[in-house]
Amino acid sequence: MTDIGIPVEESAAFVAHEQELVHETGHASSLGLSNTKLAFWLFLGSECLLFGALISTYLLSVGNFVGQVVAGNPRVLATMPAEIMNEIAEKGSVNSFFDIPFTSASSFILLMSSLTMVLAHKAVSEGNYRGTKIWLSATALLGATFISGQVYEFTVFYREGLHYDGNLFGSAFYTLTGFHGAHVTIGILMLVALLIMAFKGKLQADRAETVEIIGLYWHFVDVVWVLIFTVVYLIP
Amino acid sequence: MTHTDMAHTAHDTDTHHGHDHAAHPTEKQYWMVFVILVLFTAVEVAWSFMGFEGAVLVVPLLVMMTIKFFLVAGAFMHLYFDLKILNGRLFTWAFFGAILLAGAVYAAVIASFRFNI
Amino acid sequence: MAIIDKPLALPAGEPRRAARPLGVFTRPKEQTGISAWLTTVDHKKIGIMYGSAALFFLLIGGVAALLIRIQLATPNNTFLSGDAYNRMYTMHGTVMVFLVVMPIGAAFANFLMPLQVGARDVAFPRINAFSFWVFFFGGLMLNTSWFLGGGADGGWFNYAPNNGVAFSPSHGIDFWNAGLLIAGIGSLTGSINLITTVLNMRAPGMTLMKMPVFTWMTLVTQFLLLFAIPVITVAQLLLTFDRRFGANFFNVQQGADPLLWQHLFWVFGHPEVYLMILPAFGIVSEIIPTFSRKPIFGYPFMVFSGIAIGFMGWGVWAHHMFVSGLGPLSVTAFSVATMFIAVPTGVKILNWMATLWGGKLILNTAMLFSIGLITQFTVGGLSGVSHALAPSDTQQTDTYYIVAHFHYVLFGGAFFGFVGGVYHWFPKAFGYILNDTFGKVQFWTMVLGFNLTFGPMHILGLQGMPRRMQTYDDAMGFNFWNLAASIGAFILGFGVLMLLANVAYSYSKWKKAGRPNPGPDPWDARTIEWSIPSPAPSHNFDTDPVVTSLDDFWHRKYQEDENGVVRRVHTGAEIAQPGNGEGVHLPAPSYWPIVLAFGIPIIGYGIIFNLWLCIPGALVVIGALFGWALEPADDLDAPGHDHGHDGPGHDGSGDHHEPELETV
Repeated sequence: MTDIGIPVEESAAFVAHEQELVHETGHASSLGLSNTKLAFWLFLGSECLLFGALISTYLLSVGNFVGQVVAGNPRVLATMPAEIMNEIAEKGSVNSFFDIPFTSASSFILLMSSLTMVLAHKAVSEGNYRGTKIWLSATALLGATFISGQVYEFTVFYREGLHYDGNLFGSAFYTLTGFHGAHVTIGILMLVALLIMAFKGKLQADRAETVEIIGLYWHFVDVVWVLIFTVVYLIP
Repeated sequence: MTHTDMAHTAHDTDTHHGHDHAAHPTEKQYWMVFVILVLFTAVEVAWSFMGFEGAVLVVPLLVMMTIKFFLVAGAFMHLYFDLKILNGRLFTWAFFGAILLAGAVYAAVIASFRFNI
Repeated sequence: MAIIDKPLALPAGEPRRAARPLGVFTRPKEQTGISAWLTTVDHKKIGIMYGSAALFFLLIGGVAALLIRIQLATPNNTFLSGDAYNRMYTMHGTVMVFLVVMPIGAAFANFLMPLQVGARDVAFPRINAFSFWVFFFGGLMLNTSWFLGGGADGGWFNYAPNNGVAFSPSHGIDFWNAGLLIAGIGSLTGSINLITTVLNMRAPGMTLMKMPVFTWMTLVTQFLLLFAIPVITVAQLLLTFDRRFGANFFNVQQGADPLLWQHLFWVFGHPEVYLMILPAFGIVSEIIPTFSRKPIFGYPFMVFSGIAIGFMGWGVWAHHMFVSGLGPLSVTAFSVATMFIAVPTGVKILNWMATLWGGKLILNTAMLFSIGLITQFTVGGLSGVSHALAPSDTQQTDTYYIVAHFHYVLFGGAFFGFVGGVYHWFPKAFGYILNDTFGKVQFWTMVLGFNLTFGPMHILGLQGMPRRMQTYDDAMGFNFWNLAASIGAFILGFGVLMLLANVAYSYSKWKKAGRPNPGPDPWDARTIEWSIPSPAPSHNFDTDPVVTSLDDFWHRKYQEDENGVVRRVHTGAEIAQPGNGEGVHLPAPSYWPIVLAFGIPIIGYGIIFNLWLCIPGALVVIGALFGWALEPADDLDAPGHDHGHDGPGHDGSGDHHEPELETV
């Protein structure tokens, strides 16, 4: 060990991970941020570009779709019932198709789950293990409720005639929201894994960072929904 | 920025050792953030039903969306606090530079279609 | 360990290690032989495997190139059918870009960067192994398309709507999608890993502005990968959904705009070309100062021009699309941006020349290849500026002039740099030096072959010969230069093979001479990877190097005397570390990365042929994830190392891996 100041104590927090090999050097953290957390932030940066591309694709595809409906392209008009197409053509947007009050409730549920997630992290880092279990369970349940809502929404839309292989709107809508839903589902699985650890008594204050990192993922998914809710559902 | 500086900063703001929780928000503050987020969402939905059109409709919605984005990222994701740990203007700039870059790239793609310029 | 005052025991008193996670495998123990390579997590072995895999794919891509040149050697040739020709140039481009140049960059980054920053390994060694295997299996999967219905046939950028089922009914493009998506997972996890390593695992004292230029270029490259890969991922997923599940993203009949594909592809594609060239720039930035006996000229300019290229590389993609019907404002903006990006590139070239200027040049093979890069890249850069100008590009686009341009930058630039890097760091990797005379002959063969192949393509392009044309008529006036290019291609192919011949030749000479060790510092070099024995021991550094300046190793060898004259005070061998790994604890090898990577292509085949096949693939993936999570990241019983100072609980639970893994 050299006398150059290295956050040795900090390294203890995350050394129970893959980078133990550098433990005796202490230089595992030139930035003062743990490897795992830094890596996860980088991953989220990459995810931003992924969802950026998906949202751009949605905007462009739906714009083209509406243009074709307004122009009366018979191939496009044949893909959904006439009354829906008439409404889209009349309003010049697909938003009349959405059930905004329902989706607002979904958004509220997802925002709520972000709050419970952050409270779970707070609880675990303060050693409040009962609170950890409660808040983690609440987060997983709220996430599951959101996903159930999405399944319901997809079912309704499908029955109304919006098919994945039908037209551009269907392809783009199901792909974008489906990608988001898949992310939420993966998040729920990670929360369940955390809960199992918590009930086995393995999730204690020293592992607060694990909770924080899964929380990062969860909040990121929430942030993406903030974007999708405004851009897809509210703005025509 | 020397290692010594970083070590101190990291020590001061790192919260994973039970010796320093002051840096992260309190439970009450988290609830406050949540309430603000819900309020903004309610205003967004209400605004979309007001019958506005064009920029009057879109611009406030986008502004509220951006505020919500940074509230979640800054408070819930501790971005505000983690950037303090990094304590380097370089990284702060790189981070916001990357967000701007991503936004600008996709905005340019959409603009080139929408306006055919 | 002793210095960490807080005990590292796992909080909940879990067992220290699971001997057989999932009851399947015991922890691999092998130190040598094939299974040691299959299970290794050592960044140096992984780097060597990246390089070897790239050479293997280079042979495939090279054969495709030579078949193309045979077809074009004479007019009205029927050697390849039009269909076969389409597949040949598509697979040549795809293989060379994604499976040769990118992984060679990854090979150097993996092998060198941890050594240059003074780390024991990368931040996440098992994820590093996974990155390699998933790239390798993805590449193999892409190439199995040769036997399962023919390769992709839409060109390496596979423009819509030509890439739809209607125009390309075979499975070639499905393989292109699946193989590259899978290889992309490896690029993404690799980039996260390497960025974390550079940012967080530098040796004490190594601030960002004391990092070697190669490490800087690796950092920029990996950031480009981190942000570019998701864009092509989305494009390929959309195309997969279109082709396999009837989505309409590129279905013009439903009003889709096929230009979306071009945008998504080139938003990825232009950062892509910079992430192919920047590692080579980093390599020559190490070689040239070493053999000019001078520090690099304008280090901060080298660094910041690299960063500038990284940023500006995101603002120029539409120059690939000048003839696609963009509006005049877009064309002007991208034209100007493209001309601007020549500035930081020019800064680099001027700095290399200024480094050479007045130096005591040692013109060995590595140095010759570096100078080859500067010269040939400049030619390619100048032709690049000529199609930054949109009116001029309108004439040149889709002609052989473009083909000449990108081969000058990618082959004459990137690949020459890589070969130079192989000659330079070969002793550090394998413990013997490649024959220099042989290397010089190889260099001149390659220069001759390269310029004879691609120089004439400038002329052919300006004469109007379109690229991707299966043949041409006798009367078109293309005969002479096409024949010259074809002859050149075979000389060039021979020149590339000479590298392998030199490896074998030098090895046998070295063996006959009784395997002399080249010593830690055969080139009297500047950076700290030369302060450890050759070949690099598995633990890299005995003790942490403490870095006080840029080119730290050089400054420990050379110091000013009282008269202000720089003199050598030590030889490299005197101050190098002895390579004694006692007390060093290394991460243990693992089966799970290769198992996990193996499951993913099965899902890929399932999506192409039969969705039921996804189930066994997913089972392998899920099983591997669980095995990975349950396996301690580390194993105190790993052989060959002294674990004297290890405290209890060194084996972290794998639960921490879930965030990285379940979401890739």
